[in-house]
Amino acid sequence: MKRRRSLFLHLSHIRLLAKKFALVILFLFAFVLMLVNKTDTILIEKTSNVATDVVSPLIDLLVVPAKLIAHTYDYFKDLKEIHADNIRLKEENRKLNLLYDKFKSLEIENRLLANLLNYVTPPKSDFVTARVIADESDAFSHSMIAYVGDIGVRKGQIAMSDKGVVGRVDRVGYAYARILLITDINSKIPVVVESSRVRGILSGDNTSLPQLVFTPLDAGINIGDRIVTSGVAGVFPAGLPIGKVVSVGKNKIAVKPFSSLEQLEYIKLVNYGLDGLLKDDELKQKSGDVDE
Amino acid sequence: MSDNLDEEINSLFQRRLPLLSSIFLVLLSYLPLNFLFIDSIHPAIGVICGYFWLIHRPDLFNLWSICCLGLVDDVISAAPMGSSMFAMLVLYVLTNVASKFLTAKPFVVLWYGFVVLCLGTMLLRWLIVSVYYSQFLPLGMLFFSYLITVFCYPLVSLLLAFVQNALMQDDE
Repeated sequence: MKRRRSLFLHLSHIRLLAKKFALVILFLFAFVLMLVNKTDTILIEKTSNVATDVVSPLIDLLVVPAKLIAHTYDYFKDLKEIHADNIRLKEENRKLNLLYDKFKSLEIENRLLANLLNYVTPPKSDFVTARVIADESDAFSHSMIAYVGDIGVRKGQIAMSDKGVVGRVDRVGYAYARILLITDINSKIPVVVESSRVRGILSGDNTSLPQLVFTPLDAGINIGDRIVTSGVAGVFPAGLPIGKVVSVGKNKIAVKPFSSLEQLEYIKLVNYGLDGLLKDDELKQKSGDVDE
Repeated sequence: MSDNLDEEINSLFQRRLPLLSSIFLVLLSYLPLNFLFIDSIHPAIGVICGYFWLIHRPDLFNLWSICCLGLVDDVISAAPMGSSMFAMLVLYVLTNVASKFLTAKPFVVLWYGFVVLCLGTMLLRWLIVSVYYSQFLPLGMLFFSYLITVFCYPLVSLLLAFVQNALMQDDE
């Protein structure tokens, strides 16, 4: 009886202490989470995948009614501009037809020249189209969540819109994948200036205009230059369009992505079969090697 | 027996309504709606909800609720895990310190209070995430996000006031 009483007192004491220091404990917990996030990416990634799979269906439920409201709003907004759009599209179509003929003749010429040079063709790709269910752009991160079902999307696959690269698959759960956008601070893509073939790295900085870094000082990069992937490092194949240079400063070259990253409803997740991205077990092995 | 069970479920729902409504609004804020001003920068809806409930119903929205809200935000966001939870805890501390100046005050005073506390919360989160990445994050984005959050406060608090007045019964 005495023992049970002391146990009871003991538990209540612990409870009281926990209540008293709950705030401190939770602050510590938040710090520990961030530390673990920094050091053990695999553990956090697995936990985060499960958590995303739990939360994402809730967002998915809200998408349909919310999209209906947004589409109704867009419909009435577009009605105003429909006549002007029609004229513009007819003109665009005329130009595209001319370009199409030119493209066809260039394609044949390119094939003939490639045959002459024994050129090794780039890897063939396959893709799936995924619906964006959540997007997030703030000062702390730029990403989106897409419903991918069980179609076998892999980490490292390239996310593209109809206009160009928007990011890469960062995490894959059972049915949802997180796409890290090219504007996110963690995104670093080897690129090349299409006209001058100057290489560099497109580095996201959590603004809407990622920066071109590691380019030579006398590179002669101009506003309007197109930026495409360089294919270096083997994660992205060469030649995928990304954006164009919009400002050239002393220490900063800003690139505007071709795609409106905040207006994507569907994205293509393309698999080029490239394995430049380190897999989780390789990462673990490498970090083990460093520790040793 | 059945009535008792209904009452218990209802009471549990009432007690969890601040947290549930906050989570609902946070999830809603991540929807890709692409209209109005929500296009490129999202308001920090979690901070608005946390502040509102901590001021109006601190009895139902406690430390654990705010932690839970922070964790949900952390799961959806690609920001470092724990950073949103940290921000929510900062908000909890700041709101508790300022609560004696804010309790039972007119809406405008509460809005001014939010303007100050939201700034403190977002700046501290910016600082800790900058330390995490070992580089300063762009302050411009933070500033715009802050402004949008501040301007969204009346609208979101109106929704939450509706939840409080129409869906929650008084205990008396």
